[in-house]
Amino acid sequence: MKKYIYIFKSELMTNLQYIFDIIVGFISYCIMIFIFFNLWKYIYSDPSELINGYSMGQMIWYVIVTEILWMSLGGRQLSKKICNDVRSGNIAYNINKPYNYVGYILFSHMGLFLLKFILLTILGVVLGLIFLGSFPNISILSIVLVLISCLFATIINILLITTIALISFYIEDANPFYWLYSKVILILGTIFPIEFFPVFLQPIFKYSPIYVVSYGPAKLFVDFNWNSCIEIFILQGAYLILSILLSNFIYKKGVRKLNVNGG
Amino acid sequence: MLTEVKNQIKVNILSTKYALEREMLNKVTFVSNIIFMILNNASFIVQWVILYAIKDNIGGYSFKQVLLLWGLAAMGYGVSRFFFKNAFNLSDMINTGKLDNYLVQPKNVLLAAITSDVEVSALGDILYAYIILLIYGLSLKSFLLFTLFGITAGFILASVSVIFSSLAFWFGRVEVISNTLNSIMTNFATYPEGIFKGIIKILFYTILPLGFASYLPVQIMTNFNIYNLLVVIFIVLLFIGLAFLTFYKGLRKYSSTNLMNARV
Repeated sequence: MKKYIYIFKSELMTNLQYIFDIIVGFISYCIMIFIFFNLWKYIYSDPSELINGYSMGQMIWYVIVTEILWMSLGGRQLSKKICNDVRSGNIAYNINKPYNYVGYILFSHMGLFLLKFILLTILGVVLGLIFLGSFPNISILSIVLVLISCLFATIINILLITTIALISFYIEDANPFYWLYSKVILILGTIFPIEFFPVFLQPIFKYSPIYVVSYGPAKLFVDFNWNSCIEIFILQGAYLILSILLSNFIYKKGVRKLNVNGG
Repeated sequence: MLTEVKNQIKVNILSTKYALEREMLNKVTFVSNIIFMILNNASFIVQWVILYAIKDNIGGYSFKQVLLLWGLAAMGYGVSRFFFKNAFNLSDMINTGKLDNYLVQPKNVLLAAITSDVEVSALGDILYAYIILLIYGLSLKSFLLFTLFGITAGFILASVSVIFSSLAFWFGRVEVISNTLNSIMTNFATYPEGIFKGIIKILFYTILPLGFASYLPVQIMTNFNIYNLLVVIFIVLLFIGLAFLTFYKGLRKYSSTNLMNARV
């Protein structure tokens, strides 16, 4: 475990060198929140009106949290890196190292995620207060639980993206699979809460990754209750085990097919 | 003059053709890139179906008009990234000395640089745009206008990128700023203009010219107006001119790097 913590730390320190680039990249986050604020303001003719059980304030805070998770994840970058590692043969350098490649990817990417997550959370709270003028009614303990849930959500997301990107062992470029995965999470979990979808689809979404990587933490933040909290943590635990098994399975199977030419 | 322009266009078409042939070497990747991009774009229809189930008019746009807006945004994005992919990597090319390759060619440096590579998935955006047009309602007039506005939007996006990327000649690393501006343009392009108020609307018709790339073309397609059409064409020519002016002004300040790279 020590070596993985070292990988995490060194990645974190490396990214601190590029803090300016990271901060400038947050302009996109501000723009997205600005767009959604305007969109929901237009749709909610009365801010106290409820649409599918959500007030305008809850909808904006929901998007603020899901976008923090989404943008701090850097999924496209992660998928590109793994696909390139496989395609270029760079992955061969990792095979003979005394660590598991999936573990290396998880901890090194967490180094980037954590930095972005902290900064985006500060920015998200500031934007929420500027646009809405109020903070959701939530206790300190609940905020801590939401943060832990965000951490689990990200670990699961990184492992699922790693699994998808490792398909590159079988087809040359697995990035298109990532695009599809990202859009499913973005549309079905980031922009709208599950309650906005037809009733017959909601149970399906509840057991899909959307629930654990996006909807769950944001729902807890805007409308905390203990039943949902326990349910979300149980599902996140199940998905965590499943994603660890799946990513390691595809890596071990795929690496046997690896054929590196030249040097 | 006319022969020179014709030759230049011929060279750029050949350059795009060869870049495409290079990308087609792996057929599975080529086809999957296009198909997945179409599916990727199509997923956003879900977003608007849900929003229009709540309210039947968003920002003054009907569902069909939003479809058209999406189609034009995809077409503009596709045209700009397929034909002028390197317009979006230009600041990196300037900083790493990769422009050297194009300086020694006897044709236009800017066009040679930005047309030397293609983004295959952008073909998926273009195909998706025409699928949207089919859903919106296909007629000869809508097809011609849609194609024209797709091309003008592509020119605008590429020109804006060239203008901002060319700042690298003076200020060095501007990739983050130019990339952010490009992504801002893409993000705003798919939402109805009417939901925004105040200063942002002025930006849409100045430094973020989405008004001319998307909003005005949607208006023209739903309610044809020759005056607005001429305005769009004039603005496109203006942005192309500005892109060439900024690039060539900056090129005088260009100094290569000692980075060795091979172009294959």
